[in-house]
Order: sequence, then structure tokens, then C-alpha cells
Amino acid sequence: MADTILQGEKITRVFRQGKAEAKVLDGIDIKIYEKDFTVIMGPSGAGKSTLLYSLSGMDQINGGHVLYRGREISSLSEKQMARLRAEEFGFVFQQTHLVSNLTLLENVLVAGYVGKKDSAEKIRERAKNLLQQMDVEEAKDRLPAQVSGGEAQRAAIARAMIGRPGLLFADEPTGALNQANTREVLGLLTDLNREGQSILMVTHDLRAASRGNRILYLEDGKICDELSLEPYNEMEEKQREREVSQWLSGLRW
Amino acid sequence: MLENGMIIRAGVKRNKGSFLGIGILLLLAALSLTAVLMTVLAGNSYIRDEMERAGFGDLTAWASDVPDIAFLMESIREQEGVEEAEAQRLIFSEYEANGVESDSQGQMIPWTLSGSRYRFFQNNLSGYREAPEEIGEQEVYVSPSMKSMMDLEPGDTVIFPIARGGRTISLTVTGYYEDPFMGSSMIGMKGFLISEKTYEEIGSVIEETGMDALAREGFMIHIQAEDGITVSEVNRILVENTPLSMCTEFIHSADTMAGFMGILQNAFSAILAAFALALFGVAMAVMGHSISGLVEQEWKNLGILKTMGYTGGRLTGLLTIQYGAAMGGGVILGMLLAVPAAGLISKVMVTTTGVLIPVRFPILPCVWVFAILLLVPVSFCILRLRNIKRIAPMAAIRGESDTVSASETKFFRNGIRSGGLSFHLALRQVLTGRRRYMGACLVAVFLVFFASLAGRMNGWLGEDGKGMMDAFHPADLDLGVQVLGELGAEEMEQMVLSYTDITDRYLLAMSSVSVNGTNYTANVITEPERFHISRGQTSMEADQVVLTEALASDLGADVGDFVTIRGNKGSGEFMVSGIYHCANDMGANLGMSREGYLSIGEDDSRLWCYHYFLADPSQKQAITQALEQTWGGDVHVHENSWPGLSGIISAMHMLIFFLYGVSAAFICVVTGMAGTKILDAEQKDMGIYKSIGCSVRMLRFSFAFRFGIVAAVGAVIGTLAAMGFTDPVVSTVMRLAGISNFASGNTPGSVLLPGSMVIHLFFGFAWLLSGRIRREDMNVLTAET
Repeated sequence: MADTILQGEKITRVFRQGKAEAKVLDGIDIKIYEKDFTVIMGPSGAGKSTLLYSLSGMDQINGGHVLYRGREISSLSEKQMARLRAEEFGFVFQQTHLVSNLTLLENVLVAGYVGKKDSAEKIRERAKNLLQQMDVEEAKDRLPAQVSGGEAQRAAIARAMIGRPGLLFADEPTGALNQANTREVLGLLTDLNREGQSILMVTHDLRAASRGNRILYLEDGKICDELSLEPYNEMEEKQREREVSQWLSGLRW
Repeated sequence: MLENGMIIRAGVKRNKGSFLGIGILLLLAALSLTAVLMTVLAGNSYIRDEMERAGFGDLTAWASDVPDIAFLMESIREQEGVEEAEAQRLIFSEYEANGVESDSQGQMIPWTLSGSRYRFFQNNLSGYREAPEEIGEQEVYVSPSMKSMMDLEPGDTVIFPIARGGRTISLTVTGYYEDPFMGSSMIGMKGFLISEKTYEEIGSVIEETGMDALAREGFMIHIQAEDGITVSEVNRILVENTPLSMCTEFIHSADTMAGFMGILQNAFSAILAAFALALFGVAMAVMGHSISGLVEQEWKNLGILKTMGYTGGRLTGLLTIQYGAAMGGGVILGMLLAVPAAGLISKVMVTTTGVLIPVRFPILPCVWVFAILLLVPVSFCILRLRNIKRIAPMAAIRGESDTVSASETKFFRNGIRSGGLSFHLALRQVLTGRRRYMGACLVAVFLVFFASLAGRMNGWLGEDGKGMMDAFHPADLDLGVQVLGELGAEEMEQMVLSYTDITDRYLLAMSSVSVNGTNYTANVITEPERFHISRGQTSMEADQVVLTEALASDLGADVGDFVTIRGNKGSGEFMVSGIYHCANDMGANLGMSREGYLSIGEDDSRLWCYHYFLADPSQKQAITQALEQTWGGDVHVHENSWPGLSGIISAMHMLIFFLYGVSAAFICVVTGMAGTKILDAEQKDMGIYKSIGCSVRMLRFSFAFRFGIVAAVGAVIGTLAAMGFTDPVVSTVMRLAGISNFASGNTPGSVLLPGSMVIHLFFGFAWLLSGRIRREDMNVLTAET
């Protein structure tokens, strides 16, 4: 059994608007393991993204604890949390969320400089290598508005990877992409996982989900079920998708 | 109509920050402008009214050694053009209080309740009180400006040396009175209201001591001119046909005195008015950028409204109403607040101006101010909103609006470096979104310009007011000593030499002469090359004179022209050899050589003041004390200083304080307006930065740096503009006061401080505003909740 990298205990998240109250996460217990490609699925509005951001410290929780490599992070100060995000976490969002007035390379560089894990020169070199690996090297000096959605998302993955994160969070990373770009981005994530990168991804896309080796199903603020798969193999893609599909059907998805 | 109301209400609610900001900016501009207008108009008319009410006449002569006052008055009244003449008794005397010796002679004026021409202040100077039944024998009432000049307060003692041998009279300050004629701290001669009995007592001491008397009896002769004749014409008639000039120490018209009285408030008001107008300009610039931003932000909504049948004109009208309401509210509130502000200014300035300027709301000028402050911005608003007509509904709904073009961004791209990441990110934001920061930059330019201007004036003035004193002195000096009575100049000089060597010396006399029939002060000097000449040559020859710019303008004379000068011995033709600067008597004076003066005036050893340059100027204080202690009333010592200066310096400090206060308020509002919009627009970016590990502190620094960078650019432009324009602008204002030698004082403080202050204020307010970054929710990045 792999080591636990991230653990949530009785996580509760309640949204309030005036007197109205909505409990989106209802005392969830969850463990994410090192080098796993964990996927959270569930119907729209189930609280998938909320769970992701609660676990990553991007959002405040109303109850429970989150532990990263055994260290309680839900009560960290803002400064400590920023440090943790810079050094240990990487984020990929549905919308690419690149800073609009920075070039693709600069978007990656800024994240590297904030992490301060290497010298500026090494960070620059790694950024270029990552962009090359993501196949967006040629577009590195362009602004996000001047590249395609796929290129932007690949740059966003490079940005997430610049600090060699312990865990990569991906929130519907293919949600805004066309089919070709979706395959490319999923391919990149799969490759990263093969290289040992731990990934926690939220998606409602069956194909994307089948890239994971562990799929959690969230409904009504609780984790209802879990599916374990072998690590992804292109040769078994159709079979994995069928397996996931059948599992989801059983959950009345 | 109902739908219009709904859209307006929704717009106001949605953009309340922008409207509030614009309202505040116009409030500040309207407040400053109206308060200045009220102060100037009410001040000038009040001084005129009071002078008239108190019966000061069109022309007033200060006379002493009058052999027969009844005859003199009769001869004045008989002259053609003289409607009425009245003599007011007084005693000329030096005085000392709180360790400060007077520079000019004071005038003790006997006062009785009947026929009183003066008004009395409450002791805290907040308003008037009933005139006292009588003034006690040991009591004296002084002008409030004595508070700024000598720190005189009720209970303090004023000592008047009446005669040699220690015959002094000490009077206790009982309160303040309003002197619309000599009350300003800009006027050296000061009136003291004393009791009839004290007046008689002093009179008998003067009579008893004879030649040993230091004080002397005299008169203020108020002459009312008939309609249709000019004051200078009356003056000429009196000089030619009456013995008035034989006993006149100085003579001034009501216009001149009113000018003296109002000089300070008018000069500072002119600067404040210019500042207020600049604020208005800045408010317009900020408003222009606010409108552009709002239209950009509302582009889609405007497109939707167009699909519902709204025309561009109607939408422009609705937005104009929203802006108009904010502007109108700001202007009206500003004008209303100007009433207490003018009252406050009046109270603060009473120790400088000597009069409590009434708070009067000048309806017609204020209507004009209101119309200008409202119509100009509304017209500007309509002009800026014209783009709405060009909105194509569907294009707007699709989000096709103005964005920063890629090429534009590329051109202004800076490198992002690891070191100083906050700064580099800030610089990138400013370079790519510079339109958003344009308003802040303009504000910085204007505020730095005005603060620099005030700082440079302050620098010119100097810590001890040397700049001003140099303007008032016809020639430089370290120490001036006038020997009176039996004391010989050699004896006096020996005492000076016992402290330090005298490196140079010259003599100066200030005599009264008439030029082309009008009385002026002549600065008579033994070494004419010492005059501060700005044009032409100094008066080296006996038949030459130098004039100030003001006098040359009054006489219509220039270098090379001839003027007729009459002294107490005769008259002669003098050629104007040059223009010099000396702001005494608001610049109404001339300079001539000793030889030139002696050709038309009598010599008198008491006339001359010995001006010394000392090897060790720090000994001035010690020498002054020693001379006064040894010879008391037989010697009059003065340095390059003047008690009224403290009033000017404190007024200057108040002006600077005010400029910085308004600047801070302006910066706060502009930073708030621009910053809120930027933070609203960059919520997502802030979330992104947080997600990659940027701390709130770093983001706040980066945000504050943006305004610091913009302010720095504005500060450089403003400082350069101040360097280029201060001298011409301030010189023009100073010339009104007869000061023609203004040149900026370039101290490091005056050059760097304003810009530095403005940069820090922008940075500080932006830092405070950026506190909301801490509260920004990163859920803005999420795909779902």
C-alpha cells in the first residue's frame, strides 16, 4: 500500500447566503495516495470542485481536518498556506486561468520564482524544458489570448509542474477543450503520473476519469463509492472506459 | 419613465464607488474654490467697508511735530478737491514685548466709548464682544496680528520707552481690537488703544522731558476727496498748497492701505484658487477615465439594453443623469461646506490679517462657480459617453469590446525577474493597463506640481524668512544700528567691534519725498552699488535714481526717463538709471545716492542707519542686547528680520499643510476609485497568483507598487513642471505685493519632498485598499461548487 499524501477527516463545507444554508460537503473522510492518479467524479453540483479546493487549502472548511504528508494544513496561516501551495501543490483549472498580461513562459516562470526551489537560471531552463515537453515551446512568448485553448492548458500544466509539486490538483482540466486538445492534455497528465507525479483530478468526463487508477464517486456531499483500476495502458483504453461506465451505471450516474 | 428610474437606481447601486469618488473630488474642488472666493471677496469688501465706516478717508497722512494742528486742518479743508478732513491724535513710540523689540514705531491711540471707530474681539478671537465702557489706565488693546508677531496675549506687558533715563510706560494687554487700517502683520506700524488718561500722562512726560523725549505726539490725518478727483491729484494739491508735507512722516491712500491689509490673503488666495482650479482639472481627468472604465465595464449591459429598444442617446442621458447627480451632489455639498470652511479660514487667519473676515456667501459669484463646476463636467461627461452610440448590440453581448492589443502589450513589455518579483509584476500591470492608471498619474503630476510650488516658495522664504526680508531690504546687511540723541556713531561702533570685526559698512536713510507730486519713501544710500538692481544701472551719479518695477509702472517711467523729486529742501530733475527691487511699501519706493538726496533734502544725523557686515554674524544677538542695555532708547538696532515675518511664515506653513491635506484626500479618493475597479477586474488574477503560492503580502506589495510607480512617473513630471513654471507663476503673484526678486529656493527638501510625499501617499493608500486581497475568495477559479 502506497503512503498517504493527503488525508481529509470529516470535512464539512457549508455555504451560507443570508439565512439560507447549503451543506455541500458532509463530513467526508478521504485519503489520497502517493503516485496515484485519483479521480473524483459525481453529478453536477455534487461538490467535487469544493472538495478539491477544500483539500488543497484553496477554500476554507467549516469542519474537519486536512493533513498533507501527515501535517495538519487546515489551520495553517495564510503565509504558511501560500508557502505550501508554492512548494508542494500544483493547480490546473477548467479555464486555463493564466495571467492575461504575462506570456506563457512568464506565467510558468512567475510560479517558479515564487516557489524559489532553484536559482533563477535553473528555473528558466526548467520552464523552457517543461514548455517543450508540453509542446508549446513555439508559443512561449505569446500572451494567453494569442494561443489556442489547448496550448494555454498545456502551459497551465507546465506552470503547475514548475515547482515539482508533491500533488497536482486538476479541476476539470479538459472541461473547456475540444476533443483533440482533451486527448493531448490527458496524455500529458497520464505521462506525468507515470513519471511518479501524484494527481488528484475532478472530472465529469468518463474518458478523463478512466485515466485514473482510483475513482471516487461523490454524491450529496459524501463519497458513496470507489473504483480501483490498474495503471493506465493505452491498449486497454476501451476496456477501462467500459469498466468505468458500468461502475457509474451501477451508481445511477 | 418607470424603467428609466429602475435603470438609474441599478446603475447608481452598481457603480456607487465611482459616483461617490467623483462626488468627493468635485466636493473638494468646489469647497476649495468657493472658500477662497468667499475669503477674497468678503475680505476685500469688508476691509473697504470697515475703513469707510471708521472714517479713514481716501488719503491718510501720519504727521508729527505739527506746530498748529488747527491751522493745518483748516488749510487742508480749504483745498479744492478735499471734501472732509479729520485729525486723530496719537503718540508715536517704540515698544517692546515678550523680549521682542519693535521694528517700526507703534501708535498709541486714545480711545473713548463715544464715537468709537473700532470693534473689539473676544479674547479667544472667535468673535466680537461689546466695546469696553472704558480702557483702564494700565491697559492696552492690540491688534490680533501682535499674537503672531510678538506672541502677545491678554495679560502680557508692552513696554513703551517714552523718554531717556528709563522713563518707560508698561501697559497690560487687556484684549484685542480690530484695526482695518494697520492690523495686518504685513504692516509694521501698529496701533495700540490706550485710555485718554494714559495718553495725557504720556503727553505730559513728552512735554516735560523735551529733547530727551523718545516718544512724540502726532496725528493721523484722514482726508476725504471729493468725487471726480483722484487721490494722487489731491495729494499733489496738498503738497503744493499746504504745510502738510513739512510735517508728514508718510502718507498713504486708502487703496494702498487696503492693498497692504489684503496682500497676504490675496496672495495666498491666488495660489489656493489656482490649486482649486487644478483640482477641478484633475477631477475632470479622473472622471474621464472613470467614464471610460464604466462604459467598458457596462459594454455588455448597454448592448442588452439596446436590444430592448434603448437608443444610444437615451442611454447616454441615463448615464449622464447618474454622473450629474454625483457631480451636483458633490458641488452643492462642497459649496455648502465652504461656509464653515471660510469661517475657519477667517478665524485661523485673524492673527495674520488682523481682521475677522465675515462669512458671506456671495450669491452671484457662487452661482457662476456652481454653473461652471457643474456644466463643464456634465458637458465633458456627455462628450465622453458618445461612444455608447457606436455600440452594436450583438457585438457587445458577445463581449467584443476594447481590449489591450497584443502589439501594444508587446511594445511595453518588461522582463519578469526573480529578484523583486512584486515590483516587476506591478510594472507589467502598469505597462499593459496604463489607461487605468492615467487618472492617478495626472493627479500625481498636479499635486506634486503644487506641493513643489509651495515648497519652493517656502524654500525662497527660508527658515528665518530671509528671502522675504531680502525682498524688503534695498541692500544686504547683517546688522543695522541707528544712533539717536547724544550717542556718537564712533562710540556705538566700538561696542560692535568689541564683539567682532566689521568687514564692511554703509549708511542708509529712509526719507519721505514726493515724485511727480506723490509721496514715496526714498531709500538713500551712501554706496548705491549695493542696491539690488534687476535692470539698467544703479544711481551712481547725484542726478540719478532707481525705481522699483511697481513704482516705474505707477509713474509710467522707464530707464532713461526723467522724474521730478521734491524733498524738504527743494526739488530737482533725476534720471531713472535703473530698476531695483525692494518690496517696502508694496514696492512703492525709490533708491538714490546720498549726494542726490542732499541736493533736495536736509541732512540730519538721526536720519542715517549704520548697516554693518560682521566677520562673525552669529554675534548679532549679543551685540543687539549689549547696545540696547547700554544705551536704551538712544539706539535702534535691527537685523535682517521683521516681526511680521513670523505671520507670513506661519501662513506659508498653513498653506503647505492645507495643500498636503487636500492632496492626501484627493489621493485617497483617486486611489480608492481606480484601485477598487482594478481589484474588481483582477479578482481572477489574484486567485491565480494565490494558487501558485503568492502570499497576500506579496500581492499587496505588488498592488501598492503599481500606484507607487504611477505616482513616481507623475512626481517626476510634476517636479520638472514646478522647476520650469514656479518662477514665472509665483513671480506674477509676488509682483502684486511689490516683490520682484522671487527665485525658487532649491533646497533638496523643496525638490524631493513633494514627489516623495505623493509617492508614499499613493503607495500607502493602495496598500490599505489592497487589504481586500486577503478576503478575495479563490472560488472564483472553480469550475463548480
